[in-house]
Formats: sequence, C-alpha cells, structure tokens
Amino acid sequence: MKARIVASADVLKIVDLLRARGYEVVAPFCGRGRDSYFDTVTDENRPRVRIHLPNPYYPPKRFVFPHIERLMAVRAQNGDLKMEPTYDERPRAIFGIRSCDVAGLWHLDRFYLGRDFRDIYYEKRRKNLFLVNVVCTDPARDIGEDCFCLCADTGPAARDHFDLQLMDLGGGEFMAVAGTAAGEGLFAEPIFHKGTAAHLERRHAILDAVRKRFKTITSWFSATVRYVSQGTIPDKTWEEIGNRCLECGGCTYVCPACTCFTVSDRQVGPGEVERVRIWDSCALSGFTRMAGGFNPRRAVHDRRNRRFFRKLAYYFIQRELDMACVGCGRCAAVCHGDIGMPSVVEMIRRAEPEPAKK
Amino acid sequence: MNPPDTENIYLPKLAVLDRVVDDIPEVKTFYWRFEDPAAQAAFQHFRPGQFAQISLFGVGEFPASLPPSPTEKETFFTIRQVGSCTAALHELKPGRKFAVRGPYGNGFPMENYQGMNLVFVAGGIGLIPLRSCIVYALEHRAKYGRIQVFYGAKSPGELMYLSDLRAWEKSAGMECHLTVDRAGNSWRGHVGVVGSLFKKPGVEVPVDNTIAFVCGPPVMFRFVIKDLLALGFQETRIVSTLERYMKCGVGKCGHCCIGVAYICVDGPVFTYEQIKKLGEDI
Repeated sequence: MKARIVASADVLKIVDLLRARGYEVVAPFCGRGRDSYFDTVTDENRPRVRIHLPNPYYPPKRFVFPHIERLMAVRAQNGDLKMEPTYDERPRAIFGIRSCDVAGLWHLDRFYLGRDFRDIYYEKRRKNLFLVNVVCTDPARDIGEDCFCLCADTGPAARDHFDLQLMDLGGGEFMAVAGTAAGEGLFAEPIFHKGTAAHLERRHAILDAVRKRFKTITSWFSATVRYVSQGTIPDKTWEEIGNRCLECGGCTYVCPACTCFTVSDRQVGPGEVERVRIWDSCALSGFTRMAGGFNPRRAVHDRRNRRFFRKLAYYFIQRELDMACVGCGRCAAVCHGDIGMPSVVEMIRRAEPEPAKK
Repeated sequence: MNPPDTENIYLPKLAVLDRVVDDIPEVKTFYWRFEDPAAQAAFQHFRPGQFAQISLFGVGEFPASLPPSPTEKETFFTIRQVGSCTAALHELKPGRKFAVRGPYGNGFPMENYQGMNLVFVAGGIGLIPLRSCIVYALEHRAKYGRIQVFYGAKSPGELMYLSDLRAWEKSAGMECHLTVDRAGNSWRGHVGVVGSLFKKPGVEVPVDNTIAFVCGPPVMFRFVIKDLLALGFQETRIVSTLERYMKCGVGKCGHCCIGVAYICVDGPVFTYEQIKKLGEDI
C-alpha cells in the first residue's frame, strides 16, 4: 500500500477532486448537539464538511442498501404487464466513512454478493462506490462512549476495503493511504507529498495511544461466540434480555451490518405499481408472521435471541467469514432498554452457562 | 436448476393462467405456463420439493410448493386461500397474467433414494409438496421398492387429489391409506390421526431401507415423527419440507431463517436429524 502526506488545509480538497471526477460525494456534517449526519456535498454546504465529529447514528449503509429502494415498476397495458427494473449506478464517494462502517460494508458485500445468488441492486450501487476512510484519532470528538471497534477488531484504523484512508497525524498534516488503484490514482494530484519515516512513526504512536483511549474494551466476544454457538446460554438469560427489549427495531435500523428487508407493492399511478424493498427488523413481531396469522417466533426473547444468534453464532461466522458486528456501538447508543451488543455480551458472559446441549 | 448468478434474482417472468380447478374448500389448482417458451423449458427442470415465488403485482409475492412432478407436461400450483396474495390469485381469471420466479430450494434428492422403499405421510394440504415426489417415483417405478401413502385430513371433503390417489393406486403399484379426523355419514374408511394408520390391521410399514417423507401441520408432524421413531426409523431416514414467511426466496431477506438455516436456500427439505439441530423450534 502506498502512502502520501497531505496538509490539513488541503484535506477537504479531496472532496473537490472527487466531485470534479464526477462522483456524488457524501460526507459527514454536524447538526445540533451530538447529532451528525451524512449528506451529499453541494457547493453550498461544502465548507461545513467535518473530519472530526461523532460518527452519525444513521450509518452510510443506505447508499448501497437504501431504507426504501424500488426494485421494479410494473405497468398494465391492455391486459399485458410490463416489468421494468430500475438500478442506481451513479458513481458515488463516501468521504469520512469510519473504519467500523467500512467493515460493515465489507460484511454487506459478502452477504449480498457472495453465496449462491448475487443481489444485482446492491452490486450496481457498490461497484461505483469510492470509500475515503477516516481513522478515529480524536478521543473527544471521534471516539464515543459506546465505541468498541477494538473488541470487534475493525478499528480504529481499517486494514483493508477502503480506496483511500486518511489519518490525522497532528501538526497540520494527514497521512493518506491508498487501498486500491483508484485511490492511488489520486496521488498524482499536487496536494499529496511524499512522507518520511518520521511520519510513519507518528502514525504508529497515534494508533497505540488511540487504542488506550477507548472507554469500552471489555466485550468478551470470543467467549460469547462460543456460548452462543454451543447453545449453552440459559433460557433465563435470553428472557432477561427479552424483557428489556421494547421491540422498537432501533438496533437493526442503525446497524451497519444488518441485511434484512421486506418487499412491498404499492400503487404509484393508474395501472402502475412499483415493487420496493424496505429495511425490516427481526425485533418486530410481524417479522416471521405467516399468512393466516401463525407466528412461529412469538415470544420477544425468541426474537432477541435471534438477533444475537444471527450476529454471533459460529455457523454464520463460518458462512460470512466474520461476525456480523463491527463494534460501532450504535445499538448501545440507541437502545432504551440497554441491550445493545456490549451489554448483551456482558450479560451472556456473566450468566452461568448450562452444560453443552447435543 | 437454479438460475445463473448474473440475472436479476428478484425479477419474475410473466406467466399466463390457463385454467383453474376447484380442489377442496378454499383450495384451488391453477394450471399456468410461462409466456416465453424458453422460460417454460428452463423451468421444467425443477426437482420434486422445490418451490417458486408467485407475483400478483399490486398485492405482493408469496412462495408456493410445486405439486407437479418434472415428468409431467403441465405446470400448476395448488393454493389455499389464507392471505391477501393467495386471495388475489384465487380471484384471477383464466387468460390473465401474473408472474413466477424460481424454482428455488434444494428439493428432495430422489436419485439418492433409488432402490429404497418410499413411505409418504401427509396431513391436510401437506400432500401438495409430496405429490411431486409421488408422481416422480411412480414415473420411475422400477427404481424404487414399495411405495406407500398415508394421508389424513380433517374431514372426507378435505382430502386432496383424491381422484389422483385412487387412479395411482389402481394402475401404478402403490398402496394408499386414507384417514379422517371426523367422518361424515358417507365415509366408510378409517377414522383417526395419520399415525394410527401405521397400526391398522393389514398395514405393514417397511422400516429397513425405507425413506419416510413427512409433511403436514406442526402438531401432526410431532406425533408422526414420534410414531416413526417408535417403528424403528432412523432420524436420517425421515425427511420433511419446512415452510416460513419468505420475501426473496434466495437467502437475502432474512425472514425464513430458522436457527442456522435459511429455509429458502438450505431447505426447504431437511432430514429430521437436521431439523433437530437447527437450534430453534420449527
């Protein structure tokens, strides 16, 4: 991987470079208070793009997997039906995506593009996506109370799956690391300079220091994965977790690695319907309800069990090559019942395991 | 076979409804074909036990078992009216269009069962997915040992494919045992749950070298499994096909996941041994 140095004053010029290359650039902005969000960069809001800010609760997942996405339009004409699938292939760049969310996208890649079937809607959005990862280095602004990427082994600096990675070295300089040929292509621009061994040392020193600044590093994932996979977690523990679930679905809507959706047809004009897919959540009671009303997974703790089983069971890790949790901490931040991933891992760890079931 | 991966996996193909035949109350059989003969020819290679997704635009899409055998010329679905999509299909007039995609799922590995006896145990509309296997086995009659069908329904009027069953029994060398939970005045056959047929005088269920296909409502499933295990069946020799709410049929939407398995891509056919290890109740 090649690296270059770019001055802090020039770092947002990368946004301009990408826009000049025809990308729709999405970048993080600050709202009021803790609030932050990703939005498309325009000439008007360009000066307000931020590098250091709390990671937005609404993950950038929606640029490859929108919360509502049209799959096809169907028109009825003289008894005939015409189906027209619609795709979004526009070149898009996400500037300032955090390492946890990069890992989230990589998880979605394996889920939607791996296995027996490829999801063409995801594929078309994903293939023209350019990722500019920003390493979380500022403990006051970047790293939140609930962040635990260290435990999920996704951060603070992503090792792969970005096009360009930016890291604030302090002293008015950023290090830019190219992860792909497209990222390296940017290095021809005059804002990038060659670095020295001293820069590399500063990078290592900062990463070492950042690792110590995380507030939550006690997630015992490996033990939890083992308990979940072996089915040794007492039903009582699942029930305790279930009792605290308000069934709002918030955890799944902010999760950068959740993949479930439902499909719905809706009327959009005379003789015309569109088929859309919408994010769905295993926390909601209708998720498994079948026509006629029978619901095989009725109890709330069954559904909570489901979410953590799906994310942590060895079987799924084997299938997707990684657990479906990237340590962003969003579920912990949004959950009113305090059963985000770190709390659940803690509850499972403290539970007295039952003897292994056959 | 499953479609190649470059296609749009969510895009169905247009189909025309040819005719509708009443089966039992609330259940009808819909004969249909793809508009495009090439799509029809490609679809015809499905395996018994696979399923397809049926689209009624403006209402939605739902999964349905394929009751015909790939050896039959016509394609059809047998559908009970339970929700809004099935109601829309029940209202569809012959000649009108809808859309189908598939076939999906693993299906029954009928080739692996060659040389074995086949015992089919079905309850209610559970006979629909098994019909495919029965017809397939009868079509390749010489390759299989004894073939028995044990079939039960709530009342005599709710026994499905009755004329088919009678015809196969007469012509094709298969035993058929019927039962109902509640008999009317005209019913002269057996009364009781399906499992009680195994002990009916004159019935002898082969256990060695036999595959048992079980499909029906969850209660029936539990009791039949108990009966079969008591008869001496191994867990790997009992196969069933599971059902779940599904949106995509291709392992993406997440709705049909039971424990460690996606019903749509890992199933819907599982052995009882696999079902026990799913890690969640079926």
